[in-house]
Amino acid sequence: MDPCEKCEEVLQPFLDRELTESEYREAEAHLDDCSYCRKRYRFEASLRRYVRHAWIEGMSPELKAKLAALRTPL
Amino acid sequence: MSAAVSEAQQEANARRIAEDARDRVRFEEEVLELADQVYRVARRLVSTREEAEDLVQETYARAFRSWRSYTPGTNLRAWLFRILTNLNIDRGRREQRAPDTQPMEEGDYYLYNRLEETTGGAEDEERVVERLSQDAIVDALATLPHNYRDVVVLVDIGDFSYQDAAQILDIPIGTVMSRLHRGRRVLKQELAEAAVPEAS
Repeated sequence: MDPCEKCEEVLQPFLDRELTESEYREAEAHLDDCSYCRKRYRFEASLRRYVRHAWIEGMSPELKAKLAALRTPL
Repeated sequence: MSAAVSEAQQEANARRIAEDARDRVRFEEEVLELADQVYRVARRLVSTREEAEDLVQETYARAFRSWRSYTPGTNLRAWLFRILTNLNIDRGRREQRAPDTQPMEEGDYYLYNRLEETTGGAEDEERVVERLSQDAIVDALATLPHNYRDVVVLVDIGDFSYQDAAQILDIPIGTVMSRLHRGRRVLKQELAEAAVPEAS
């Protein structure tokens, strides 16, 4: 199946919630019609979530204390 | 008479100092509440935990020092992350050349197609990413050139809008979009190679 050009153009800003209201509706209408884009959209959305939640160890309590200690003394 | 004036003046001064201290305390508390977010982003901008911790401390030291340059009511997160990204750039990191993105017929579909191939296409597209290891994601982000990484990390990890990212990095919004797009493409390329080593 050929990559869909429309999908290519709107997918990223669509996922980033950066489209205007009317662009968003247009993109949704396109997704309704195009099963390839729908699959791609679901994949990109889950990849985005996966990257976002890739493990990062929490900040150490020591660092938190150091930051608080940088405050201007009263 | 003059004693009365100076007394009034002293009172006004004392009030101003008290208000100033109160504003500063509030500012410091609000900035400290963002520490976990700052650390997450810092951790992805630099390679090691130690570097991230240094960067976060420098960021807070500078933020507390220059609190007067923050205009109350404006976007505090963007203000703080601007300090973070500027410090990261100032640390003398090398400007890296943009990687040669391999011309790929599939373009952005590369990773998806690769992962789908390895699953025989049977798995649904929301599950297919789970074939990627967390380490692969971390490594792929770490190999992104800095210019791309800044934008990808701010938008994808920091959850900033294109507009905020543009303001933080002091670049046009169009540049944010193109770097984001290219950065994500490189990221997917890296992930595809990690997922299917024999395909490279």
